[in-house]
Amino acid sequence: MSGPAIEVDGVSYAYGDREAVKGISFKVAPGEVLGFLGPNGAGKSTTIKILTGQLPAKSGVARVLGRDVRRDDPEIQRHIGVCFEEKNLYEGMTAEENLKFFASLFGLKGVDTTRLLERVGLADRAKTRVAGFSKGMRQRLMVARALVNQPMVLFLDEPTDGLDPVSSKAIRGLIEEEARRGAAVLLTTHDMWEADELSHRVAFINEGQLYAVDTPESLKLRYGKRSVKVRARVGGEVVEDSVALDAEDTGERLKEAVAAEGLLTIHTEEATLESIFIQMTGRGLD
Amino acid sequence: MARPVSHPALVAAIVRKDLREFSRDRLWLILTIVGLVMFIAVFWMLPGTVDETIRVGVTPPDLAETLLGLSAEEGEVAPGQDDAEGQETQGLEVVRFDSEEKLRAVVAGETDGPDVAVGLAFPDDFAGLTARGDPVTVTVYVESGVPAEVRQAMESAVREIVYFAAGAAEGVDPMDVVPVRQETVVLGEDRAGEQVSMRERMRPLLAFFVLMMESLALAGLIAVEIQRRTVTALLVTPASLTDVLAAKSLLGTTLAFFEAVLMLALTRSFGAGWSVLLAAALLGAVIVTGMALISGAAGKDFMGTLFLSMALLVPLAIPAVTVLFPGSTATWVKALPTYGVMEAFVRVTSYGESWVDLWGPLALAALWCVAVFGVGLLVLRRKVRTL
Repeated sequence: MSGPAIEVDGVSYAYGDREAVKGISFKVAPGEVLGFLGPNGAGKSTTIKILTGQLPAKSGVARVLGRDVRRDDPEIQRHIGVCFEEKNLYEGMTAEENLKFFASLFGLKGVDTTRLLERVGLADRAKTRVAGFSKGMRQRLMVARALVNQPMVLFLDEPTDGLDPVSSKAIRGLIEEEARRGAAVLLTTHDMWEADELSHRVAFINEGQLYAVDTPESLKLRYGKRSVKVRARVGGEVVEDSVALDAEDTGERLKEAVAAEGLLTIHTEEATLESIFIQMTGRGLD
Repeated sequence: MARPVSHPALVAAIVRKDLREFSRDRLWLILTIVGLVMFIAVFWMLPGTVDETIRVGVTPPDLAETLLGLSAEEGEVAPGQDDAEGQETQGLEVVRFDSEEKLRAVVAGETDGPDVAVGLAFPDDFAGLTARGDPVTVTVYVESGVPAEVRQAMESAVREIVYFAAGAAEGVDPMDVVPVRQETVVLGEDRAGEQVSMRERMRPLLAFFVLMMESLALAGLIAVEIQRRTVTALLVTPASLTDVLAAKSLLGTTLAFFEAVLMLALTRSFGAGWSVLLAAALLGAVIVTGMALISGAAGKDFMGTLFLSMALLVPLAIPAVTVLFPGSTATWVKALPTYGVMEAFVRVTSYGESWVDLWGPLALAALWCVAVFGVGLLVLRRKVRTL
């Protein structure tokens, strides 16, 4: 398809009197990963619920693959994959049975569940019932389940939550593979480093409002300091100095710093996504 | 690439998944098999016949001999079994009582004593009064549940005794000669004509237990699906909420119906009225499935679901329990959802009744089915929508 895979235009939702989502708008293109960042209760999950047809938007329009999600259109459901934050797997069934069952709901027969389980590192546990899985194994199976229908749009809610570093890396690799395949990915995560590494663009949401939708680089450039931090040992003590990159004497100062004895490190003072988020919203992500 | 899937195929896939989960739930499996075997075993262990020996209390005591003599003269074998209080001929045991008060109390079950179903209270000077042609009153005390035929036999016996005492001519009704008045007093609620064996009485209750177990199992399955939020995983696939609800309803009704039919078959309930029984079993299955949808959706956890299920199901057991006490069915019990179902079980299996006799209670049960099932679907739909 040529248009955006996900298109949200002025969407709002309220739980009773409490407005959870306040007229947000954004788009995700095929093959793009959009990191959806915000603290608990910011409106991330509500937005995903609206986009996956679980909740009807009170106002505005949400489209997935060009179709209005309010119409409870099975054509949308056939092409999306969802990895929920809660590990909602059938515990009495094996990993393989879970995948085959969901494949059957998509009208898929003969799905290569072994390959899918290999991709998430669970091939040797195919015949094990989910009740015997650790939290990390369940999370990996959740990701595999979201991929069972080779979705064109992926909604991933905290997909690396509870995973060890090796498993997290494997899942991140998998998300990149899916994006390369052409899937649009809406990724919510608390891990700023992960969002920074995976996302083509990030969206900051807080108290139901979108504060920014941009590439991490643009945000860092816009909100970060153009300076380098120099650390050196002087007379037995570690001394830090900040050198502005746009000043008239920048060149001279950097030369001095490099030439000085006891130089320890020189780093650019680039802003982190978390610091930008705090700067923009006035609150942290936890 | 995903392909379009028909709604029946989606429902079938969910039912297969639920059956797989059911078959792996050891607790449910054990309870179902053990319960079914146990209920059927209990049915066959219960007495299948009614004790036809009638124990009759007589006062004053000397008239007991007259009654026994009359019974033997009519051709019944009189083994003459003696004990401290009574004597017996085949089918009739006579117990002597010193006073009418005591006889009445024993028949009414108000005091300890021999299990006497009928009491004949003659005046103390009965022989003298009848010989003189003076008016006398004989009171026949009858325990509720004594068949009408037995009452008539006892009233005939009174006439025979009067005949014997008055010495009236053959062919002349002694009642025309001696002014004797009979008063029949039924103690307790009149259950004449309702005599069925304990086994027959227990059949509806056992069938209800089978339905109830299925209801509990389905409620548990639904509760787990909601509490673990697996239902939300289903709803982001091509399966709609209607497909999910249809699958749960189909599975619950089919399992409950199948087990109830199995139970009825193994208790040899199917005869001429088999179609009525099948209809009643289906209505019962739908009602308990509706209840399971409600309790499964509303229960917060396992105990909550169990408690709610019991709270909903216990009132439904009342019609099955009242069958144990014929004639004791109150009007409000007849308004309960399962009344028509239980009535059909009893009246088809015990009295051979048919559609013509039972369409009323079954129609009421069908209305209840629509109501209970409708409420169940609404509650579950609402619950899933708010997850």
